[in-house]
Amino acid sequence: MDPSVDVVPLLGVGILLTALYLQSESFVDPLVSGIALQSALIAVLLGWLAWTEHDLDFAVIAVLAVGIRVFLIPYVLRRQIRAFRWRARELRASSRVTGHVLAAVTVAVIAWFVFQQALAPSFPELGGALPFVLLVQGLLMLATRSNTIVQVTGYLEEENAIVYAGALFAHGFPLFIEVVIFLDVLGVVLVGVILSIQRDVTGTPEERPLEELTG
Amino acid sequence: MMLFEPRTWLFVLLAAPMAAAVLSLIPNGTASRAAARAGGIVAFGAATALLVLQAHGEWGGVLGLDSLSDVFLFTVSAIYATSVWYSSAYLRHVHNSYLSPQVYYALMGAFALAMLASLVVVDLGLMWIGIEATTVASALLIVLERKPSSVEAAWRYTLIASAGLTIALFALLLLYVSTGTLNAFALAASPPAPTLLVQMAVALALVGYGTKVGLFPMHSWLPDAHSEAPSPVSALFSGVLLPTALYAFLRVYRVLATPVPADLSDLALAFGLLTALVAAFLLQRQRTFKRMFAYSSMEVMGLAVVGISLGGVALYGVLILLVSHAFAKSAAFYCSGNVLRGTGTTRIDAVHDLRHRMPWTSGAWVLAAPAVTGAPPFGTFVGELLIVVGAVAVGEDWVAVLVVIAVLLAFLGVNAQVGGMVFGATEDSVAAVGEGAESGISIAYLNVAVALVLGVVSLPYLTPALRAATVLLGGHAP
Repeated sequence: MDPSVDVVPLLGVGILLTALYLQSESFVDPLVSGIALQSALIAVLLGWLAWTEHDLDFAVIAVLAVGIRVFLIPYVLRRQIRAFRWRARELRASSRVTGHVLAAVTVAVIAWFVFQQALAPSFPELGGALPFVLLVQGLLMLATRSNTIVQVTGYLEEENAIVYAGALFAHGFPLFIEVVIFLDVLGVVLVGVILSIQRDVTGTPEERPLEELTG
Repeated sequence: MMLFEPRTWLFVLLAAPMAAAVLSLIPNGTASRAAARAGGIVAFGAATALLVLQAHGEWGGVLGLDSLSDVFLFTVSAIYATSVWYSSAYLRHVHNSYLSPQVYYALMGAFALAMLASLVVVDLGLMWIGIEATTVASALLIVLERKPSSVEAAWRYTLIASAGLTIALFALLLLYVSTGTLNAFALAASPPAPTLLVQMAVALALVGYGTKVGLFPMHSWLPDAHSEAPSPVSALFSGVLLPTALYAFLRVYRVLATPVPADLSDLALAFGLLTALVAAFLLQRQRTFKRMFAYSSMEVMGLAVVGISLGGVALYGVLILLVSHAFAKSAAFYCSGNVLRGTGTTRIDAVHDLRHRMPWTSGAWVLAAPAVTGAPPFGTFVGELLIVVGAVAVGEDWVAVLVVIAVLLAFLGVNAQVGGMVFGATEDSVAAVGEGAESGISIAYLNVAVALVLGVVSLPYLTPALRAATVLLGGHAP
């Protein structure tokens, strides 16, 4: 029996569980750990595919995932909250955890259903809908959270979804490595530059209603 | 002769903003500004040479030119050149800046390079990288003036635009799975069968790139970024960044053979109409003039998507509208920069009697406002008229009616507000504001003049290129 038949869906379930965990968490530090764990699972998946399919591109992307999304970006994110790391909590989300989880599960089921109806015939791989579900979960994080560090985890989740999709059903996608590098660069710009400027100018990672930005 | 070799000009076109970005970092204000200006002018010269040469084809499977890219290259390079030129007037009055002028000019060069590169690549994956690079390069330009609202706007822009572009990338993955290639020229030459997968890819591309274009309801970054960015950057955003993102969508849309499946053209029509109408309503209640102009840009992008969905003669209208709007809207933002400098505010209710305080800026503003809202005889009027004619030609009279409503609302909203600021009297005595050559207002007049010329005469090289690009997209010119 081909071991990849078991390993790939098993990792897929793990990745999906991390996505649901991220939706349920309002403390920032565990969220950062959660996205690092999800990125690590993606890296393991890529490493497995690189080994079984002898594909060097997957190996390069796995190394990038470990270096940038498992270690570098979480490290920079933690530096943003180092003064109050253990009590940093998204203010608005803390009272709505149950709602977030319910919304996340509902959205995941709908995304899975849409994929099965519209695209499943084109993607016979087991678990082909999972990257699509993960993409939608990342969008949900971005749309429902107000803390900028939490929003970065949503962005990283989207990037993980793209890498996951590319690895699972778009073998040979040209420029895959370049695209992943570019997404990583943007992630670093987001967390390294704009978040730092925001901390300097506003002193808080929470979005605030500003009169200039209404209307 | 090297001069007649398109690859030479293609190289110059990309090398100029790249060199400008690097040389602008020279720690000498005058040299940095000169390098940035030279980069803009050389890039514009190269784009014009490519327009004149009309040398189309594909080189090395990476770079390629056709009439559509010629038109967009000309427009982007022109607005880049004028915005860099106007920047020196604007930066003189920016205090407590987060970026030095050198870094500002370097980022402007990188921003222009990303847009131009997106327009000359044939691989849709590379095009996506170019569009994403525009986000990286331009996000930092928004925070120039170090205000909490600017930082918030930059954050929203980066996050929302990137989220949208991730969806666009997912669309490209689906397209690749379906066709086995991402070469835009090859796909357009032999369109794949419109399977469910291909249609899903095009629909996702509409949502993904539509986020960067500012389509409703993914538009929320647009008014924030346009209103908080420095005025020359707002001019680039409104005038050419939104059309560049639309160009990327057009390249994906063109993968479908005409006639486009009704489901997809209806989807594009719905997005376009909703965007135009929502923006036309929202701009009525804006409190700051830069935000009002941002919603005006959103309205124009909505109309452009309506025209794309209709096809036929409306496609020619879309191209004229985009080119004219780029020149007119950049002029409107240059004027906005001068008004902000002269009055210290962007609040509409705090600005009065500009005709006495800033007569030259007022003059350009009362020309630019009708130009951006499709008043005759500007090019935008011709474009919007052809979109209405295109709707009637395909029997969609109700679409024509809704387009006219959106256009009239936007026209009345913008011109009434600008008229109030220019002609509205105040009881307080207000001092005139200096408007010497250093105010950069001549650049606004120049761009309004181009928008006017586009509406009244056929321009050599540009008009034939517009016609050829329309045919390339499956439409026809009147």
